[in-house]
Amino acid sequence: MIGPDATANDLCAREPIHQPGFIQPHGALLVLDRNSLEIVQASANATAFFGYELGRGKQADVFFSENIPLSSRLRDWLAGGELFYRDLVFLADHRFHVSGHATAQGILLEFEVALAEPPRSGGLHHRLHRLLDVIEPLDNITHIAEAAAAEVATLCGFDRVMTYRFAEDGSGVVLAEVSADGERRYFDLRFPASDIPAQARRLYVANRLRLITDVDYRPVPLDPPLSPLDGRELDMSLGALRSVSPVHLEYLRNMGVRASMSVSLVIDGELWGLIACHHDEPRMISPRVRAACEMTGRVVAQRIGVRLRMAEAAERLALSRTGTRLLTYLARSETLDGALGHSPEAWLHIAGAGGCAVLLQGAVQSWGETPPREEVAILGQWLRARPVDTVYETDCLSAAFPSAAAYSGHASGLLAISISQLHASYIMWFRPEVERTLRWAGEPSKSVEGGGEIPPTLHPRHSFAEWRQKVAQRSAPWRTAEIESAREFRHAVIGLVLRQAETRAGMAAALERTNAELESFSYSVSHDLRAPFRHIIGFAELLGQREGKLDATSRRYLDTITDSALAAGHLVDDLLSFSRLGRAQLAVSPIDMGKLVREVLRSLEGALKGRDINMEIGDLPPTFGDAALLRQALLNLIDNAVKYSRGRSPAHILIDGKTVEGRAIYRVVDNGAGFDMSYAGKLFGVFQRLHGAEQFEGTGIGLALTKRIIERHGGKISAAARPDEGATFTFELPAGALGNAA
Amino acid sequence: MSETRPIILVEDDARDLELTLAVLERYSLHNPIIVARDGVEALDCVYRRNAFASRAPMDPAVMLLDLKLPKLNGLDVMRILKSDHAKRHIPIVMLSASGEASDISESYRMGGNAYVVKPLDFQDFSRMIHDFSDFWIVHNRASGG
Repeated sequence: MIGPDATANDLCAREPIHQPGFIQPHGALLVLDRNSLEIVQASANATAFFGYELGRGKQADVFFSENIPLSSRLRDWLAGGELFYRDLVFLADHRFHVSGHATAQGILLEFEVALAEPPRSGGLHHRLHRLLDVIEPLDNITHIAEAAAAEVATLCGFDRVMTYRFAEDGSGVVLAEVSADGERRYFDLRFPASDIPAQARRLYVANRLRLITDVDYRPVPLDPPLSPLDGRELDMSLGALRSVSPVHLEYLRNMGVRASMSVSLVIDGELWGLIACHHDEPRMISPRVRAACEMTGRVVAQRIGVRLRMAEAAERLALSRTGTRLLTYLARSETLDGALGHSPEAWLHIAGAGGCAVLLQGAVQSWGETPPREEVAILGQWLRARPVDTVYETDCLSAAFPSAAAYSGHASGLLAISISQLHASYIMWFRPEVERTLRWAGEPSKSVEGGGEIPPTLHPRHSFAEWRQKVAQRSAPWRTAEIESAREFRHAVIGLVLRQAETRAGMAAALERTNAELESFSYSVSHDLRAPFRHIIGFAELLGQREGKLDATSRRYLDTITDSALAAGHLVDDLLSFSRLGRAQLAVSPIDMGKLVREVLRSLEGALKGRDINMEIGDLPPTFGDAALLRQALLNLIDNAVKYSRGRSPAHILIDGKTVEGRAIYRVVDNGAGFDMSYAGKLFGVFQRLHGAEQFEGTGIGLALTKRIIERHGGKISAAARPDEGATFTFELPAGALGNAA
Repeated sequence: MSETRPIILVEDDARDLELTLAVLERYSLHNPIIVARDGVEALDCVYRRNAFASRAPMDPAVMLLDLKLPKLNGLDVMRILKSDHAKRHIPIVMLSASGEASDISESYRMGGNAYVVKPLDFQDFSRMIHDFSDFWIVHNRASGG
């Protein structure tokens, strides 16, 4: 990791810089009791500074503003509720700028000598107007930063003015630099986060301008040192004269700086950056110019904020367009990975990623550059074990999850959204490693020196010469818009997944009802529809027996009645078998296909009688399946072969099989009537007949039933034929996949 | 004695009844044939109650029992008879239009002696009736008690 020794940092971050107990000597501080306006605390230089004895217990009514006593003005201000009191006051012949604010510890009045300033052309108002004209059309943040640095340099006349921007890790980089000698000493260099500790950052937000007129100043103590009101150090957070940390002064001296001024750039309450001014000599800046610099900072920050928001909005819009497109795919797809497969580049674009993976209930699908699938699954488990997070992002995965170092080339950055509360299911986007060289302003380290000294003294680094650092296993950082778009997308994906689950559940329920209805329908058909055919056949038979001497025509009529009723009855029986097949569980066992074929041929003895058939049984490898159903399937195929080869003498029928990659493939080949392949699509449909019923009897269900049997086994069936040249039916059963086919 | 033991035919459909009777007559079995038209009558007949109170006090040689019947269905009738120690020996042949595996297995589970899916072909039907009647009446009378 970047950064110096943590102990030294902690020490620095603990320093109570808002209550140093000292002020800088270019002004004087009086603290008044809020009610009596009596002085309760004063900087030790007060009497010397004012040329008048002022201190604890005295009244501040020696100051006049336009002939009105300061105390009277203060009471009006207190009653008015303004945060700051600013005025120009007189004590005898001396003029002072006074700036006041009230805290629980009293009214802090800071005095600075008012010097005669040369009037500036056009004044502050005019300058601000011009600045706005300059930065208004700029949409590049760096250009705005340059304009800001130039404006502040003009206002305050410091040797070097830099606009400095904080990164998310707290380090800062110099975006713009304006200097009297034209040399850009710090431009594009990085300063570590520890250069400005957290409590200093908070002060920069509360108090937008800080001036150090001379780094070699002698700090002036307060008298008494602690506030008599609460016995504590005086809080000078909002003060301008507050003495700064000796570590900071040393830091500035190490940089070769004598005077320093910082203007905060605050956007949405966050410290976005600073305009930092350095001068090689001590330099005093009047309150009026400081106010102008502070105002410039506010205007610039406001402008940068607008630009950032606009850029983010544009980016968000583009992402949202892609998102909408993806949601359309999602709505059309049955599965999430189906939707991703449809348009992987859009999925990558939505997060600006190089790869994307979906981990859904243990199964991984991936597109683009991602870690291996098994690693994605492990990563999912790791994410799941973390505290509940709907969106996780990092630009340095290996720092949080060390085994990710193995694939940091493809996946140094990870943006993951959780899409299930029950399972480790995530959509993950990956970003490749970007090896970068960071240019630091000096090797970033502070050290605790003085071995054994208590308390230890902190010293900042001495050199600010460029120091290069190579950064590895890190991707380009995820931007807020990308993370937000992933978050929005998550809601949509979850909504869709839930909706689809609901639809499926609804369909399953409807299907179950339909099945139940079908079952009861089949049952009544078996009982009610079949009975009349049995009756017709029975009574026709009885009639024939009773009328022993029917003439040939009557006998033919009676036989036709019987045959028709038989045909209709068989049709009902076949339909029942077909519907039963959909509901029946498969009873899977090892199957000796040779034996099964021999059994089928025995049951066809009647049909084979009187036929000249050359029946060839080839190799028939064993398989797994439901014996009764496979017997039925074979029976239908062989029966067809026998039936449709009726016109041949000799007919030739071949039944054989082979094993290919564990799958058993069987054939039934005949040299019979065949069929036109353009009807092949109809062959396996219910009630589809390719030959007239006159020519070949049958119900038109046999092949549909056969297909259903093979498909229930997870297999497939096909046919090839030519008219008058016979047909070949081939079916294939999967290898060992039948264990769960039931 | 066995010649006079009756055959109970339980059948609600008039046409089926006529066809079955024609078959049974054709084989000129000496056993009288008693017809019951629903499940309740079937039990009345076995236990000689109501309309059947006056029949000879003799258990039937075999009961040909339709599955789907009014009032009490065939399986209910069978369950009652097979759970009665005094009557469980009466052979019951189910005659049914249903080839549903569940009906067949349920029937055998309850102690049915045979299950016949009424074939479409009348000649098959008459052969089956003959075979079963012959088996239970002539060859298997010892087990009939």
